[in-house]
Amino acid sequence: MPAADLAPSPAGPVARPGAPAFRQFPVAWRFALQNQARNRLAWLLLIVFVPVWYELMASIAGHTPLTFRLYATGRVLTVDGGHLTLITAGLNAVTMIVGFAVFAAVRRTLAFDKRLVFAGYRQATLIAAKTLAIAVIAAAVAAYTSLVLLAFWRPGPAGWAAILAAFTVIALAYGAFGLLLGVLVRNDLEGFFLIIMGSLMDTFLQNPLGNPLANKPVLEWFPSFGPTQFAVAGSLGHTALWDHLALGLAWPAAFAAAGLLIFRARTRTRTRHDHRAAALISAWGHATKKHAPG
Amino acid sequence: MSQAVLEARDVSKAYRRHQVLRGVDLTVWPGQLVAVVGENGSGKSTLLKILAGTLAADRGRVRRCGTLGYCPQDPVLNESLTVGQHLRYFAAARRLSSLARAGELMDLLGYEQYRSQVAGELSGGTRQKLNLTLALLHDPDVLLLDEPYQGFDWETYLRFWDLVGDLLARRRTIVIITHMVFEQDRFDLLADLADGHLTPRGASPGRDDHARR
Repeated sequence: MPAADLAPSPAGPVARPGAPAFRQFPVAWRFALQNQARNRLAWLLLIVFVPVWYELMASIAGHTPLTFRLYATGRVLTVDGGHLTLITAGLNAVTMIVGFAVFAAVRRTLAFDKRLVFAGYRQATLIAAKTLAIAVIAAAVAAYTSLVLLAFWRPGPAGWAAILAAFTVIALAYGAFGLLLGVLVRNDLEGFFLIIMGSLMDTFLQNPLGNPLANKPVLEWFPSFGPTQFAVAGSLGHTALWDHLALGLAWPAAFAAAGLLIFRARTRTRTRHDHRAAALISAWGHATKKHAPG
Repeated sequence: MSQAVLEARDVSKAYRRHQVLRGVDLTVWPGQLVAVVGENGSGKSTLLKILAGTLAADRGRVRRCGTLGYCPQDPVLNESLTVGQHLRYFAAARRLSSLARAGELMDLLGYEQYRSQVAGELSGGTRQKLNLTLALLHDPDVLLLDEPYQGFDWETYLRFWDLVGDLLARRRTIVIITHMVFEQDRFDLLADLADGHLTPRGASPGRDDHARR
């Protein structure tokens, strides 16, 4: 083999490392986003399930007054049960849709991602692109769900902004949860079951309408506690519980860190590019015309 | 002063109590075409994964030189991406600056018309062509191909061997895993994998006349 075959040469059949190359992050980011957005069932859930769920929950809840205690201030709010239910219905819809969409996308492409890493993709780049795509999808779903809410209830700009922030934080948490399950569980059913059960338990236990014993300290240990407190305080209590929003962000950080560590371990490869050895072959090929005996 | 491009020594692997490989040795020299032949379940794919570095052996040592192309038996694709997007993704992985080689390979394997089709809608044969293209995209020095022509029609099978001939002419090294060999004289080395042992049948002197047409 002539030495030139292994040297960086734009004139060769393939340009070797060194030439202006396809940049890894933009490609990975675009395809990760596209991969997330290709989930037709998730789109259908967004378009049909979100408004139907709001409608259903609003009609069941009516406008019964409900008491809700804000942990941070200790204040007990008597609020419209219908409004409170709409907030938890929105939280519930966001968690299920984002969790499901991210889980499906991560799980579907795990083997492919491993092949990409094996082919030379930097794991950190792939992880960053995937994380960013999940965050964008989560934020988009949260924004959409918050907008649809306006068809059922107009809480006012500050109240709506609080709900949007809470939906975004819980969407990030369940996006990260979907990522964690996507790299962890053995089959699809396990993952879907865990997402649905997690979402139902988490969001409904926070709602005094669904759980008359709500406000037990144990509820603080659920992902939707912080966002629920922030949304209710902001939209119904005119209080901004920033520390509770921050508490809500701890969940996506923890889920994502665990999920990405497992992703890193599962896509790791033992292959190293041995350029010194490649150069040796090149030199050997240059000096020899025929192959060596087997 | 020769240097083997691929060298496996005493490679063993078990899945729980099932011992698949029992001290496999293999030496492959630059420019060789090698076939590892064995029945279904004989451990061929396990051996190739260990050679490629995607699976750890329980014992033994593998040394490999140069850039590697590995084509797994089951096409590992992203069902929601098109053929063209797959090529761009792997071009980015390999840090290539052009898709010229991808175009050549698509043309050679005859599936250029599917460039805009998503992988999930491709036929089994076309998926395998894409699978092979992804392994060859960076024109690697050493190619490990696991049942590379499964699902190919006769026309594509012949095109595949044209491609192999072209690669060998440029002194690339190819190891093919297969459960049956039709034309033994194409290969420099045929080795049978049975009961966890790899036994060479010996070099075939006729390769230059047949594979390098």
